[in-house]
Amino acid sequence: MSDAARLSWPIKIGAAMALIVLLLPVVIVVLAGLNAGDYLTFPPQGLSLRWVIAFIQSETFFDAYLFSLELAAITMVISTIIGTMASVYLARTRFGGAKAMRGLFMSPIVLPGIVLGIALYVFYVSTDIGLARTFTGLLIGHVLVTCPFVIATVTASLVGFDPSLEEAARSLGAGPLQAFRLVTLKIISPAVSAGSIFAFIISFGQFDLSLYLGAQNLTGLPYAMYISLRYKFEPTAAAAGIFAIVLVVLSMVLSSRLINLRKLVARA
Amino acid sequence: MAVAGTASQLTARSRRGVFGFGWNRLWLLVVPMTLFFIVFFVLPVLSMFALSLDKPAAGTVAAKGDFALTNFIRFFSQPLYYESIFRTVAISIASSVIAAVLGYPLAYLIAKTEHPGRNTFLMILVLASMQLDGVIRLYGLMVLLGDNGLINGSLIRWHVIGSPLPLMYNVFGVIVGDVQITLPFMVLSLIGVIRSIHPSLEEAARSLGASPGQTFRRVILPLSMPGILAGMLLVFALASSSYVVAALMGGWKVWVLPVHIFQQVSNGGHWQFGAAIATILFVVNISAIFVYQAVAARTSGGRI
Repeated sequence: MSDAARLSWPIKIGAAMALIVLLLPVVIVVLAGLNAGDYLTFPPQGLSLRWVIAFIQSETFFDAYLFSLELAAITMVISTIIGTMASVYLARTRFGGAKAMRGLFMSPIVLPGIVLGIALYVFYVSTDIGLARTFTGLLIGHVLVTCPFVIATVTASLVGFDPSLEEAARSLGAGPLQAFRLVTLKIISPAVSAGSIFAFIISFGQFDLSLYLGAQNLTGLPYAMYISLRYKFEPTAAAAGIFAIVLVVLSMVLSSRLINLRKLVARA
Repeated sequence: MAVAGTASQLTARSRRGVFGFGWNRLWLLVVPMTLFFIVFFVLPVLSMFALSLDKPAAGTVAAKGDFALTNFIRFFSQPLYYESIFRTVAISIASSVIAAVLGYPLAYLIAKTEHPGRNTFLMILVLASMQLDGVIRLYGLMVLLGDNGLINGSLIRWHVIGSPLPLMYNVFGVIVGDVQITLPFMVLSLIGVIRSIHPSLEEAARSLGASPGQTFRRVILPLSMPGILAGMLLVFALASSSYVVAALMGGWKVWVLPVHIFQQVSNGGHWQFGAAIATILFVVNISAIFVYQAVAARTSGGRI
């Protein structure tokens, strides 16, 4: 008997409704971006690539897309390095305050993005360290909000790690760092890759920080779409959305090859 | 957590036991992250608190330290401002309840799907919709719910209704937006809990004569409470602090705290007052954590 058959119909209907709520807006964006007409109607007027071409030629949206990619790539590198280091520490230390430290590193997930944006901007201006409305200033914000995702992913993979493997390497003559590099890092590397993908995607979709840390030449895709959505529904923005959707789905498929996605929701 | 803690303690001990050294400098690994968080997280949040206690000075961003409670007195003496706390809390509670009811069946389905391919497929759907930029998803919702949107446009064209239904630019629209954005977080926090409920408990209830509905109400649901509450806290925190949902789906007509913050800071340059409202939003979310802990302790009978 397949597992779906065991579930009662109220569960199935409820699950279908939740999936509709999750996916319908995404489907609409894809349709709006591929629609032939000037605005989306139901049923659509036919498919065309005109808005996709308009997006690639659009200075606003295409430049914003490239900016988001660049910022996300740099964010990913920094968050992955310091996040992985911190995860190894958190998984191995006997220090009693480690739980509180983990709580601190995870807190950007629940701290309102708008509060963090204002806090960082106020801090930059108050201390006059020349980071207000700069690329580095924005990057710092992105690293803060993406680190929790790296830590969550990497610590999850370290929980089930068998330390005797590393000890075996040591007893066979490897130095501590060599043993770490050849054994532990190899084993957790899928989780590190998955964590870095999460960091990339979270940074790519980050909106709230740009409100206060962004500037004219520091505009990512979410902000460009927000500005356009305040006034009209540009199909070009929807076409830009399609490229973001493809990026996210490909990243998730890639992560699912690297790690068991179930591990992410295992009760910590 | 307890198991993980013990395991890592054993790890550290055995490491020391076998090698005598090597991981004593383990703490070096956490130095970059700690410094980064102290400088760019703790200090900025503290400087924002400090700014909220400054005298209002339009256009001045930097904290000066001229202590005054003016901003908070102004907030709590004008209904325009303090009423937005209740509005924010009400919208966020409604969103978290709806997200729990809507998210539970999907989480249950994913938790009980053993087939690896199907399970991964569903997980990708949930994770991808969580990680996709919220503004893009709001674009889809706005095209769906707007006055000339897919729903209203179709209903008018088919002569079901004469004038568009108010589906957006009101509280309803904001709640729909909040639920859409936060639903994946709810589902993810439920899956782990539902999967940790041992199937034999369900079977025992059934073999003792309980109907599927009774089994769910008396066994599964109470055991899922920790996940439901944790998910509701997460949804509350995200919904109460989302500026973009309130701005786009509320069309500047639903005055919740984040909209006030943006209005004060970006349109008026009132950084001190904006920082005070941001501090109040922060306190609202911290209070939610305390409420969560109190409720969680009660429902679990001290098991958490």
